[in-house]
Amino acid sequence: MTFTKPSQALIDKTTGLLQSGMNARAFGEYGAPEALGDARWTDELILSTWYMAETGKLPEGLNHKTGKSDGGFDRLDFRYLPESEWLEHSEALDTTLDLNRRGDAKRRISIDIPWYGGGMSYGSVSLNVMMSRARAYTKWNSYMSTGEGGYPIELMECKENVITQVATGYFGVEEETIQAAPIIEFKYAQGAKPGLGGHLLAAKAGEEVAKLRGSVPFVSLFSPFPFHSTYSVEDHSKHLDWVETINPTALLAVKVSTPHDVDMVAIGSYYAGAHIIHLDGSYGGTGAAPEIAKKNIAMPIELAIPKVHKFLEKEGVRDRVTLIASGGVRTTDDIAKAIALGADGCVLGTTDLVGLGCTRCSNCEGGPSGRGCPWGLTTTDVELQEWVQPDWAVQRLDNLYSAMQYRLRDILRQLGLSSVTELRGRTDLLRYIGKEEAE
Amino acid sequence: MLESSGHLGESDVSSALTYEEFGAESARLGRKIADSYQRYEIETTEVDDVDPLPHRFLVEVGKIGLAKFIIKEMIHYRGQVDIILSRPCTYGVFSGPVGGFVPRPKLCVGCLRCTVQHPEFVSVLPNPDRLNLGDSYTTHGHIAAIDEEAKKGMVPVRGQGYRGRFGGPGFDGMLTDMSEIVRPSRDGIHGRELIGTSVDIGTKPMNLSFDSSGNLVGSSPRMFSIQVPFIFDVPPGDLGTRQMARILDSTSRRIDTLICLPAANVLDWEMDSANIVPVVPKSLPEMVSEFEAARLIELDGWDVAALETARAATNALLGVRICFTDGWQEKFSQAVNHGVEVIHLNADLHGRGSDGRFVSDLFKEAHMMLIDQGRRDVVTLIGSGGIVGADHVPKAVISGLDAVALDLPVLFALQGRSHGSMTDRGEVRGTLPRKMTDEWAEQRLANLCASWRDQLLEILGAMGIREVRRLRGEFGRSMIVRQLEDEAFAGIEGYVSGGPA
Repeated sequence: MTFTKPSQALIDKTTGLLQSGMNARAFGEYGAPEALGDARWTDELILSTWYMAETGKLPEGLNHKTGKSDGGFDRLDFRYLPESEWLEHSEALDTTLDLNRRGDAKRRISIDIPWYGGGMSYGSVSLNVMMSRARAYTKWNSYMSTGEGGYPIELMECKENVITQVATGYFGVEEETIQAAPIIEFKYAQGAKPGLGGHLLAAKAGEEVAKLRGSVPFVSLFSPFPFHSTYSVEDHSKHLDWVETINPTALLAVKVSTPHDVDMVAIGSYYAGAHIIHLDGSYGGTGAAPEIAKKNIAMPIELAIPKVHKFLEKEGVRDRVTLIASGGVRTTDDIAKAIALGADGCVLGTTDLVGLGCTRCSNCEGGPSGRGCPWGLTTTDVELQEWVQPDWAVQRLDNLYSAMQYRLRDILRQLGLSSVTELRGRTDLLRYIGKEEAE
Repeated sequence: MLESSGHLGESDVSSALTYEEFGAESARLGRKIADSYQRYEIETTEVDDVDPLPHRFLVEVGKIGLAKFIIKEMIHYRGQVDIILSRPCTYGVFSGPVGGFVPRPKLCVGCLRCTVQHPEFVSVLPNPDRLNLGDSYTTHGHIAAIDEEAKKGMVPVRGQGYRGRFGGPGFDGMLTDMSEIVRPSRDGIHGRELIGTSVDIGTKPMNLSFDSSGNLVGSSPRMFSIQVPFIFDVPPGDLGTRQMARILDSTSRRIDTLICLPAANVLDWEMDSANIVPVVPKSLPEMVSEFEAARLIELDGWDVAALETARAATNALLGVRICFTDGWQEKFSQAVNHGVEVIHLNADLHGRGSDGRFVSDLFKEAHMMLIDQGRRDVVTLIGSGGIVGADHVPKAVISGLDAVALDLPVLFALQGRSHGSMTDRGEVRGTLPRKMTDEWAEQRLANLCASWRDQLLEILGAMGIREVRRLRGEFGRSMIVRQLEDEAFAGIEGYVSGGPA
């Protein structure tokens, strides 16, 4: 069966029902759907994210901080000061993050919030979702990565806030899009499927997607692992040199997953010239991945951050590189904990999608319908993608980040810190909590 | 995988070759070898369910609420049939003859769009019948995964990250490594077809010896290969029916592996063949002589006298099954010292020994005993108990095994149901679908094996390891969550090594 773009009346009806339903669920009018949530993203975490996306405020009566995975971020909490010592809640509490710490001649980039948007390629998500994220991150003076699927021309309106990703399939990588970007991201691996490359299923590689990727419509597209031009840190350095030649002012980011020697990979990337080292832990991921990889290959981000942070400190280069964490970072509390463990900031993917209505049903790859996400998020189906209207989506993400920034400032003031940069590596401000307390 | 088959034929050139002749002869032989290679693969075909698992979800629709909604829509969208008939499900749950009045929950994938779009009259609930499958070790998640793997023969793929607990007990507390940039191979998605999953069963000398004339002296390898590092174990409990034996036999031939069966059954059912491993009671060792086709025969327990009797009566490789009960180490050492070629280690179905230790530790201990003696390649280690997921295979191999033996997964691959213990082998009680045919069952098991093999390739590919034999005992290619936590969280208030309760 082929589907066509729905009529405006049908779009209005469907989006109207979805949006009012999300609102009702977020405000507790009907309670949580019984089948919603899992150990990592509980029903409360999903509904609280919806609430923040609806209102721009933190929810009361919903746990918006932790899941129930019985480990990692979910067993960590902060050692807050006594209330009498808390700072005032104020916009003066600094949440900005500098991305260029090398002190070289390249751009000086500072983002207003210590997170930016992770790569979700055109094809893995719809153009509506991609544009909504790009506009929201632009509004927040932050960034969004293209992922490996090319650079739709529409993104040019946000080019000062779009990171061009160069990954192993080189899909959609062109000189113009390298030159347009303030940050170029080399993706070596991704946490959800480390060492396995990527795979866009044929059903999602429609006309426009294929065109952008220089391929044939409705043919599966494999992004191999690893870069077939990189066998060593020296080869990696050549990659960065190549980009530097095309765009001399762009910052260079390197995205890697979390093997046992991730600390060595990080230091190698630093010496190759990276400004940003982006660690992608194993429990995250927004697209389709083999179940066996998600659970078993490489380490969760909570365990990788301290390893890399300490090693970079030991090597004396910690303050000359920005360490970004992703892969299972769900909430503001996760972001703050990641920073306390040693990261400078985080990358969000799933959180954005949940903010736009994702229930984490896991049918991103197409599911039995073969059409992709029924919510219109991870799909390029001409009908389904209309369920996410950009204006609505931008507003939701704007609200979500607003609530998240508020929560981040709340954490900082309760710890007596005036800037998020003061939190980095402060494991002394963390405590490991017992199982009962965590639940 | 490249497998050499057939006789390559010797050169009829009896004298020394000229340079040109050597080149031509090399090319001829090379071509012959290339033409005789056959890539190993397991043919998969999706098969229909004959006794499907309970649906994942229950879908409840309030009829009055739905009727009111439809009336409202008919008034509001008068004449716009496509809008009135649009449904909140892309999977067809509400696309039956009477739409949402009789939903079709078997099609529900739990996206929950319907219950968000129409919260006032649609509910989607997890199906308790599904959640009640399995037990604390072999969970409903394992059973559902096996069911899907046996149905499709594919690697299960899902979106949106991992959904389970952080680390966990047993195999869940072990992660496998990957190689980021510098890799010993060019695997990953491209190149998986070149990764080998065959393993050797039997014994190899730790070194070769030659006499003064350069002739090989001493023992030579006694072994054969199977194409996957898993075999079928003796069906536990009441599952060892003749039909089950027949299905396992045909499947094991098809994928080139082994099946262990009680010796008495092999005789009664006249099933002696190269892929069947008769398990002979140690009280009847002379029985081994009955199995002329068997390449491997196992004695059910360690007994030196039984071994000597058996050895005198057969040329087949001899294995011994040793349970992880008190004193297993002593029996293990004795068996190794007496030249047993294959040791089959047995834990309970939760993967525990009688002392409560998990198989990953127990396998590792057995492996290290052999390493310490410098005799690892003299003995093949097979292990069973607690292997209920595809990830358990590489993790067991990393722990030191050459191959694992499958027990309960067979029941669930065949859409059987467990009614007895899922811990004690002897107490397993299961029923298989009445409509099950041998052909259907063989394809289900072949699909399961193909899926598990492909998932093994994923793990090996991520590591950049070209053959599963090299994974054996590679503890360094695994990461233990507890150790990683110690490293990451040391010094954080409240953290105790191993984690507080």
